[in-house]
Amino acid sequence: MGKHIIVDPITRLEGHGKIDIILNDDGNVDRAYFQVPELRGFEQFAIGRRAEDLPQITSRICGV
Amino acid sequence: MSKPKVGFYWCASCGGCEEAVVDLNEGVLDVVEAVDIVFWPVALDFKRSDVEAMEDGEMAVCFINGAIRNSEQKEMVEILRKKSGLIVAFGSCSHMGGIPGLANLHDKESIFNRVYHTVPTIDNPDGTIPQVETSVCGTTVELPEFWDTVRTLNQVIDVDYYLPGCAPPVNLIVGAVTAILEGKLPEKGAVLAPDKALCDECDRRESKPENLCIDEFKRPYQIIIDEEECLLAQGLLCLGSATRAGCDSICVKGNMPCTGCMGPTSRVNDFGAKALSAMASVANANDEKDVKRIIGGIADPVGSFNKYSLPASYLHRKVRK
Ligand code: SF4
Ligand code: SF4
Repeated sequence: MGKHIIVDPITRLEGHGKIDIILNDDGNVDRAYFQVPELRGFEQFAIGRRAEDLPQITSRICGV
Repeated sequence: MSKPKVGFYWCASCGGCEEAVVDLNEGVLDVVEAVDIVFWPVALDFKRSDVEAMEDGEMAVCFINGAIRNSEQKEMVEILRKKSGLIVAFGSCSHMGGIPGLANLHDKESIFNRVYHTVPTIDNPDGTIPQVETSVCGTTVELPEFWDTVRTLNQVIDVDYYLPGCAPPVNLIVGAVTAILEGKLPEKGAVLAPDKALCDECDRRESKPENLCIDEFKRPYQIIIDEEECLLAQGLLCLGSATRAGCDSICVKGNMPCTGCMGPTSRVNDFGAKALSAMASVANANDEKDVKRIIGGIADPVGSFNKYSLPASYLHRKVRK
């Protein structure tokens, strides 16, 4: 197995991200993963809220 | 003397708190002049390893926004607690759980099921869900453990001060930064905002009758909302009497009722309970039947009274079967 490089966190953007890069024995990229280590679940908890609250709730998906 | 070191970090949040810092406009230059920012993922390229390499207490203050809902957020705030003299919970999510805290009406399983299997926009033929550890090429790729329950920052680490609001108002941020730089902070645990109700600073307060009596709560689509009269007097669920002042009543100025993002004043522990009791006290009820009809007519009470505060409330979360 080659080297495993972790870039954590990814910076200067809105949101959470992490990159895993796995190198092979020759030092070339074998696999690379972009990971989002964050979830809040708006898809679920927005259900059941008052319709008039949804503009306020969904605007907090991203406040940038 | 070297400048005090400052950090900003985010957990389960939307980035609106970072925008609030940017909303300082040129004022941000004064802050940058006075302090040395040593960690701020949205703006600067410092890594987790840079924070881990700091001495304990090296940062004077770290502002943390967002709720805590997974293992990585817990690890990060624990590290930041060690590396920082002061911790300020920044914004409704770290203060009371915020809107992401509404996830406490569900659990990990139902959220994963919705997000990764049943939501109409999903394309996941293999039914993949996030794994804490995945073995690939002889190594392990890791993701944080997603919790069943969203927590406030002070349910996870010791917090020194709170800057309330979704997002915190700019003048309160300036006030807090100034107080920290001048060493003029109030007692530990204080919320850095006026300790009075929003109604006290609302332009419509004169039109709020002293003995307000409401026969029926209305929803915004049911009436033409007058732009001058107290919104509660018009029957709308305006939570200004239970909510801390400091936002300049911006929602009411936009003709929308206050939904309580600034949280309660210092004499109240549970915002939602206070807001509910404030509404019950204006219900024109003579007996239990009236109470049931008027208060029972409020749609989605838990989401309306604890829109930003469910994890901090005595309810905390939906009971697990
Ligand atoms: S109830 Fe709402 S509209 Fe009425 S005075 Fe209070 S904050 Fe203003
Ligand atoms: S009016 Fe209420 S909901 Fe709106 S910003 Fe102020 S405290 Fe928050």
